[in-house]
Amino acid sequence: MRAIRLICWCVCGLALGAGVGLGAVAAAGSVASGSGPPDRDAARIIDVGHLPPLLRVPGEPATLRFNVFCPAPDDDPCHAGGDVFVRAGTTGAFRKLPLRRTDDVADGRYVADVPADLAASPEGFSYYAVLRNEDTGASLTVPSAGAAAPELSLPLEHAVVVDLGAHRFGSTRRADARVVAAPWGSAPGLVGLLHGPTFGPIGPSAFDVAANGDVVVLDQVNRRFERWHAGRHAADTSLDVTGGIADMALEPDGAIDVLEPTGDAAARTPELRSFSPAGELQAKTPIADRTWSQLREGPQGPEVQQEPSEQWLPAVHGRRRLSRRAQASSGHPGRSLPNGKELVVFRAGTSEARIAELAGARVLRGWRIVSATPLGEVQLAEPLGNRVVVVIRPYTETQDEFLVLVLDNGGVERSFSVDSADWAETAPLARFRLAGSSLYQLGSTPSGMHVDRFDLEVNR
Amino acid sequence: MSLLRPLLRPLLCPRVVFLAAFLVALSLVAAKAALATFVSANCNYNAPTPSPNMYRDGSVTVALVARYEGYHWGGGCWNDNDVDEGPNEPLQTSSTGGEGGDCSGLTFKVWRESLNTGDGGHYQWGRLRNVHGPYAAADFKAGVGVPNATYPKADAIVMDAFASSTHIGMVYQRATSGADQIVEAKCEACGTNIFTRTYRSDSAYGGVRRMGWTG
Repeated sequence: MRAIRLICWCVCGLALGAGVGLGAVAAAGSVASGSGPPDRDAARIIDVGHLPPLLRVPGEPATLRFNVFCPAPDDDPCHAGGDVFVRAGTTGAFRKLPLRRTDDVADGRYVADVPADLAASPEGFSYYAVLRNEDTGASLTVPSAGAAAPELSLPLEHAVVVDLGAHRFGSTRRADARVVAAPWGSAPGLVGLLHGPTFGPIGPSAFDVAANGDVVVLDQVNRRFERWHAGRHAADTSLDVTGGIADMALEPDGAIDVLEPTGDAAARTPELRSFSPAGELQAKTPIADRTWSQLREGPQGPEVQQEPSEQWLPAVHGRRRLSRRAQASSGHPGRSLPNGKELVVFRAGTSEARIAELAGARVLRGWRIVSATPLGEVQLAEPLGNRVVVVIRPYTETQDEFLVLVLDNGGVERSFSVDSADWAETAPLARFRLAGSSLYQLGSTPSGMHVDRFDLEVNR
Repeated sequence: MSLLRPLLRPLLCPRVVFLAAFLVALSLVAAKAALATFVSANCNYNAPTPSPNMYRDGSVTVALVARYEGYHWGGGCWNDNDVDEGPNEPLQTSSTGGEGGDCSGLTFKVWRESLNTGDGGHYQWGRLRNVHGPYAAADFKAGVGVPNATYPKADAIVMDAFASSTHIGMVYQRATSGADQIVEAKCEACGTNIFTRTYRSDSAYGGVRRMGWTG
């Protein structure tokens, strides 16, 4: 009888303990789910896909196409609309053109044809678009500064045509020197490698070359930068970086700019982090657009090519860090050059690259690089004296190489191919840097990373 | 035993037995609760909803909801509060039950595919439905499954994909540089987002097309 009574007490204790526990867990769960941010209103989401026709050749239709991405019931396309505001050249009043909806989502479902009188302007035309979700009222302006810094589309009428024909893979030039060689690892002098089952391998994501020839590598996996001097590892310095794939550039005084894909956990906007030469974090500057392509040092400080605007936006002017709005208001189509000019790159279609040197909003000279082999990204386009060095990637389904072109007013002064050496991923347009008259390449193999130097003034 | 009985007798009183049982049950429930993850606390296993149509720009918005929600190896469940609620998970660990998809899990859901590799239909999976799908990146690259096919990279457009043996990302928009904006679940440190990538020209990657788009 006593045993039965004890068993009853035991069962009651178990039941009550379980009940109290489940109640507490439920309460904690509700607190936990309430402590995290609630779901956001999906109606706020609106984004755009747009390829601005930066450089047009005679006879091409001036059609502006946009994809508008905003949620709708059943994950169908949303009921979107909007207007494009266009003007001839870069001054004067904008003309409003309503976007029409088409069935062509490949190049952009929403379309506006630029009137012939504007499209034929020798100064090109400038434009911005205001896109809307007609059901929710959410809207987006691209470029975000609107009339203050519109897109620019310029005629490329007297370009030098460079016909590459079909690319011949396998005839690559050997480097003049290997200035950095480092196995994978985390000790000083080694570089970090990130490799998971559904990503990678990801190696050091960017590098740059100092005025004295030192090579600085962003080893974001180990959250540091490493410096090589005269081919020898000289120093490594800790950096407060996120570890994501980032671009980097050295300022003339040795300061280091790192372009991060995101900010800290709470800051989702990509940001530029500036460090002293000793690695002390000096500033974090959120960029204006949602995505970036590349970072370069301009005459006034770091500039970032951003998307969806595709413009180059200065992050700093002199010593002043620019707000997102100030960056957007200073957008321009090309990379700023020290002589005040700009260099514009536009990869057209599947196998053409257009390059133009601008003064103000006027094309001074340009090149059309056409190929029978598909062309990938333009990794680098930079002046070298009165010439322009372009590094572009021909590819097939199974092969790819980099092609280095030195362009002058007559066409190609010289060219050579370089092994892509891209076993590990880097930032998208961070594999090459031009310093003096030498081209440097960040490469990798399963055993480690390296930086090779190609001297461009050497006759071969 | 007879020696122990006098010692145990005070412990066998009803109050002590009740208290001991209560504490044991409470501890077990607490331990179970301590093991709760984002997935166990938030995700479901509901059946997908067949949909008659599937538009490329409509599917982009499925990916936009997953943006900022993190990366989780083998995962496929996220909410829409723009916070990764399973950050800093160890590599190659799916048991942590964190938020977000991995690259192939995100693609499977955005492309509205079926768990049946022989089924090319369109299925809407709720964002909180925990599903990865039957394909790894290498399967997508090889065009495994009725809905998937290899496709020339030069012709890839919005919502086609580039896949390697370890990764897949979907085309969001071509860039003026010739690179692409890609929407992808990249890695724990990278999360799920839109990034500029050069997969199109990288011979480690092949083109993949989800077949059966309405437009």
